[in-house]
Amino acid sequence: MALGINTQGSVGGEFLPIVKFDCRAGRMFRRDRENGENTDVDITKSFKAVMDLDNIEVGWIDFDTGGAPSFALGPIGQEPERPSEKHKKGVRFVVKLAKECGGDVREMASTAKAFLRGLDDLHDVFIAEQAKNTGKLPVVVLKDTVPVTTGEGARKSTNYSPVFEISSWVARPADIKAAPRNIEPAQVSVKTSAPSTGSTKVAPPVADDEDFG
Amino acid sequence: MNPFAKYGIEHLSPSQCNTFVASPAMYVMERCLKLRSNVGPAAHRGTAVEAGVVHALVNGASLEEAQALAKKEFQRLTALSADPRLDKESAAISDMVAQGLKELMPYGKPSSTQGAIKYHVEGLAVPLIGFYDMEWENHGVLTDLKTTHALPSKISTNHARQVALYCAARGDNLDARVTYVTPKKSATYRLENKREHVSALEKIALSIQRFLSISDDPHYLASIVVPDVDSFYFSDPIARQNAFSIWGL
Repeated sequence: MALGINTQGSVGGEFLPIVKFDCRAGRMFRRDRENGENTDVDITKSFKAVMDLDNIEVGWIDFDTGGAPSFALGPIGQEPERPSEKHKKGVRFVVKLAKECGGDVREMASTAKAFLRGLDDLHDVFIAEQAKNTGKLPVVVLKDTVPVTTGEGARKSTNYSPVFEISSWVARPADIKAAPRNIEPAQVSVKTSAPSTGSTKVAPPVADDEDFG
Repeated sequence: MNPFAKYGIEHLSPSQCNTFVASPAMYVMERCLKLRSNVGPAAHRGTAVEAGVVHALVNGASLEEAQALAKKEFQRLTALSADPRLDKESAAISDMVAQGLKELMPYGKPSSTQGAIKYHVEGLAVPLIGFYDMEWENHGVLTDLKTTHALPSKISTNHARQVALYCAARGDNLDARVTYVTPKKSATYRLENKREHVSALEKIALSIQRFLSISDDPHYLASIVVPDVDSFYFSDPIARQNAFSIWGL
């Protein structure tokens, strides 16, 4: 529970491409944007990244604004006030993907409990091993995903929690800044434009028997 | 009093809401004056292609069998039609089935197809109902299949509202998608901002309710709207003639 999140934003004007874990499918995607078109590339099996857990931000996120997400985040222990009922508990941090799955610096952010559960476990290990690896960041792989079923009847649904593992520790890459991001003022999202409908092409889900056999 | 009852309307659907938005005159003509027009071959094409694709996904039919079933379904639906667009739509069906299967076969067998949903809106006297095309419960994915001659680069607003409603009724956790197929291409897009699109549909439904509550007389409602007879809603000759009869336009 090191993240302080019950597992039951923009970077000061800097926008990073994203990596997202789809809890419904148990897959990790790298979102590429080319010629104005988003494409989600499945990197579940190859996912390996340096994670800047030193500067992880916790707080409140509203992804469902109709435009850019609304972030109200700060370092652990400096969590801002909840801006609105629409904001959910969430985290954001920066990763640098390994060459085999992209090789660039990206952002991960989520409010999904299934994701936060897996991240919280990773963060516990990170804290435990940090003292032996001063000044370094963990290289993290996605070892597995585990199903978590909630609800009953028609509302029953299964999500997948990531099982992360620290495979090694490395010096902070030059392109991941050492300083924490700015604490942003808590903002209630005000709708100023019509909601987008969706232009991200998605691939079919991978059959269950191909999942981390 | 329930303003829908006097017009014998027991529910609303995304399709009805879309019609009201695009052509209030068509909505009055069809739902209040009960002058229904033909759907047109493009709509039947969609139904037929879906039937073929579902046949292959659910029953393991071959591509040829799926195409044959789709063609047969199209012929059944259009047996009495003299629409000049029939040949064009008929010619596209086999290729659309092939594209649909190329896109959706990797998803595997759907856990359900043509699933009925019912959604209640606070303050609305009738429910919103609909039928989603396909769901894969094991993947948490739901998609609606749309046929078109030109592949869109994003989900249309009408389709977004429709699929968002299915998810609101089935569970927000679903990964909602819309699959577009043309005779030569296909693409599946992930729906964004589901909550906002359902909210839009709710507002439209409540607007219809307020509109119907203006009068018990369908002819009065007709008198406060005007048809755009150049829109595709009035492309059917019968619809065009009905519009002329009602509005003199």
